[in-house]
Amino acid sequence: MSLLEVTGVKKIYKGRRGGASVEALKNVNFTVENGEYVAIMGESGSGKTTLLNVLAALDKATSGTILLDGMNLSTIKDSAMAKFRRDNLGYVFQDFNLLDTFTLEDNIYLPLVLAGKKHSDMKARLDKLAPALGITDILKKYPYEVSGGQKQRAAVARALITNPKIVLADEPTGALDSKSSDELLELFSKVNQMGQTVLMVTHSTKAASHASRVMFIKDGIIFHQIYRGNSTDTEMYQKISDTLNLLAQGGDLK
Amino acid sequence: MKIGLYPKIAADGIRKNGRLYVPYIATCILMIAIFYIMHLLGYSDMLQNFAGSGTARDTLQLGTVIMAVFGTIFLFYTQSTLIKGRKKEFGLYNVLGMNRVNLGRIMFFETAIIWIVSMTGGLLVGIGMSKLAELGFTKMIGSSVSYQFTISADSIAATITVYSLIFLFIYLNALRQIWFTRTINLLHSDKAGEKPPKANWVIGILGLIILLSGYTIAIRIESPLSALFWFFIAVILIIIGTYLVLIAGSVLLCRILQKNKSYYYKTNHFVSVSSMAFRMKRNGAGLASICILLTMILVMISSTSALYFNREETLRNRYPNQINVAARQDGLFENYEEYTSKMETAVAKCAEEFGTEVSDPMSVASYGLSGYYDNNGTVDIDLDPYATLSSTLDFDRVVQVYFFDLETYNRLNNKNETLSPGHILLGIDGNIQAVNELTVGKKTFEVEKTIDYKDGKLKYAVGTSVVSTFVLVVDDLNEAVADYSEYIDTFGNPMLAWVWNYNFDTGLDTESQLEMRSKISEYIDNEIDDPDFVRYFCFSREAERNDFVSTFGGLFFLGILLSIIFMVSCVLIIYYKQISEGYEDQSRFSIMQKVGMTKENIKKSINSQMLTVFLIPIAFACIHLATVLPIVHKLLLLFGHNNIPLLIMTAGICVLICGVFYALTYKLTSNAYYKIVS
Repeated sequence: MSLLEVTGVKKIYKGRRGGASVEALKNVNFTVENGEYVAIMGESGSGKTTLLNVLAALDKATSGTILLDGMNLSTIKDSAMAKFRRDNLGYVFQDFNLLDTFTLEDNIYLPLVLAGKKHSDMKARLDKLAPALGITDILKKYPYEVSGGQKQRAAVARALITNPKIVLADEPTGALDSKSSDELLELFSKVNQMGQTVLMVTHSTKAASHASRVMFIKDGIIFHQIYRGNSTDTEMYQKISDTLNLLAQGGDLK
Repeated sequence: MKIGLYPKIAADGIRKNGRLYVPYIATCILMIAIFYIMHLLGYSDMLQNFAGSGTARDTLQLGTVIMAVFGTIFLFYTQSTLIKGRKKEFGLYNVLGMNRVNLGRIMFFETAIIWIVSMTGGLLVGIGMSKLAELGFTKMIGSSVSYQFTISADSIAATITVYSLIFLFIYLNALRQIWFTRTINLLHSDKAGEKPPKANWVIGILGLIILLSGYTIAIRIESPLSALFWFFIAVILIIIGTYLVLIAGSVLLCRILQKNKSYYYKTNHFVSVSSMAFRMKRNGAGLASICILLTMILVMISSTSALYFNREETLRNRYPNQINVAARQDGLFENYEEYTSKMETAVAKCAEEFGTEVSDPMSVASYGLSGYYDNNGTVDIDLDPYATLSSTLDFDRVVQVYFFDLETYNRLNNKNETLSPGHILLGIDGNIQAVNELTVGKKTFEVEKTIDYKDGKLKYAVGTSVVSTFVLVVDDLNEAVADYSEYIDTFGNPMLAWVWNYNFDTGLDTESQLEMRSKISEYIDNEIDDPDFVRYFCFSREAERNDFVSTFGGLFFLGILLSIIFMVSCVLIIYYKQISEGYEDQSRFSIMQKVGMTKENIKKSINSQMLTVFLIPIAFACIHLATVLPIVHKLLLLFGHNNIPLLIMTAGICVLICGVFYALTYKLTSNAYYKIVS
């Protein structure tokens, strides 16, 4: 059984006051295996953020089923949803979404505190995680005191500290300069090599080239995917650009 | 650019940010209205007819100053919050080609619009409320009383001056914020994290010291005469202390809580403690203001209601019988018995005329002196105590010395005491130690026995005194005080005074009692050969009752009026503070929900935060009330009120009522807050 199974997912946004409704996701089907590093690529308006929101249970699919480790997301009650997210999902946002009232350390602890964990447990987990992410020295600082790259690494730590089944990342390099982006992507690869399943949504070819599989979404459907196989990052980058070029020319890949 | 553009942009800005500006302007209007009413009451002649007008006006004048300071601080803080939310908008204007001068102009028109609206609104509301108050006033204490709530040009002018200055300050502060921020920072200001305030030990401890010294003064005050002066000092210290403690101390407290890992890292505390630590500096001022307002309400209502509800007892203490004839004569009065018996005859004749007779009469002659006690058995009457004291303010050592003769004491208090020659019975009231030998002036009295003069009717002859009292029961009255007739005060009047009180009941109804009171003087003048010889006065309890009702009722009404105003502004401040914070917290809570915060968590965290924010001011206010209650009691003594249990009871009831109001506000506010953030 796959870790994540997405079958026939549809999302329709009802137009307001009788306006035309928009079909953001038409019919999305894919699976993600345990330990995979998947990137979903698409242009603005292709439905990729909607897809991620549906996967993260921030939004409900109009129809179709999403199974995470055998659990059907649509059967989870609203009241239990936040707890489900906290226990099973890690989320990395484009604009970090760190709380400026907390130090980085407290920001990272937040999901564990919400889950009612003991401080010693939390500290033990962070002590293991912090060196790998290179944030040991800045834990006591506040978000406004550190750079964007450092903020995003703290955000990654916050996503990982709950040992989630899957980490969902929404344009994680979107707000970073190229050097910080490179560092962060290295980090994702490292995290993935440690066995963490990662699903990233991006429109950056470079970001996607680190993934082991890239899916392309357009007009609400996944219409193509490429596997890394044994390619290096550079070769992968080339493959993705070629695909995107074809796409832009309106070529039919199927 | 046309000039007309700026006012338009300014007006648009206010309209578009209505959800924040409407409560802000409402607060401004209310503040101005309160200031106007306080000023009107404190500085106009309106309260002149009050018996206690001095105290009431002094307090209200102090209140006016407090309101001005408090208004400045509060509006200042609120406005910085407002401007913070709009920096992005200004940044955008800046990028689109407006320079800082242009932005300053928009700011100017914005402040000007708010100024005009709040000024007009505030004055109208103020005048309206004072007119409304007039109606309630006459309803409560009868139309015979001429307390007129006039429209005072002086108060309007003062209000305009003070609040225009405050608005000028606010404008300059807004200008400063825009002027010294770079465009890019303006644009990103809503994203830029705010620096968390540092815990400031120095200010926190300083605040605590100031607060405690205010408390100490409040508790240790002894004499009601000096109470008013020290009351003001204590009030000012307590206010400053409250502000410092809540601003710095609350950050300290949060930091200490954060250090305690097992407390801090709990689902309910984590979010609330950290966000409070973050904005306590700003919150502190608001909380302190609420606390001061609450304290004012509690003190005002509990004291004035205690006065009002105790009016009958106060009246009866002062006038134990239906009619009271009192006579006074400076210096020694030889053969006073002859005179008093003539007066008694006159009164009896008058009663006869009215078809009734004098019953339950109490005739007391006494001598009184005031002096300066050295706390060691000697009362100094050489120096004029009030002349000396006006420079030292040490009222605690002023004593009132009364002389009664043994026959009077035994008669009034149903005793059967005897005295050895040269000995006295000594009664003491106030904070003075009993002594075996009392020297008054140059004469020394051996104390035969210490008595409680209040256990009989003698207490009515002594009355409720605001200073400490010695009651000397001697064998022969004129002989005992003969030596004192030579002392004169700075005005050349003898310091010794002879006082005669003749209290009695009649079988008459209220109206006839009043009539008889005015008739008595005719009879006395007929009876005594030289009517100008002694000064005498006639009082009727029924006549005085109206006076008591109007005075105490008036004060009580004032207390209620001001309390309603304060309560409303309290509610408004709390509501506004929480709502504006709610908008700030919106994004925070949405992040936390994404990270896994349940609705349940949100509710709990809001409750924990709100409870703290709500409990701090009322807890502080209760402590303040408890510590100033002794002073309030001393001040009430000036009105002849000496009922401590009643005062404590009214204070307790006031706390309860405030608590209920408060709980309602809490419910209302936390619901609104919850709606915003979830």
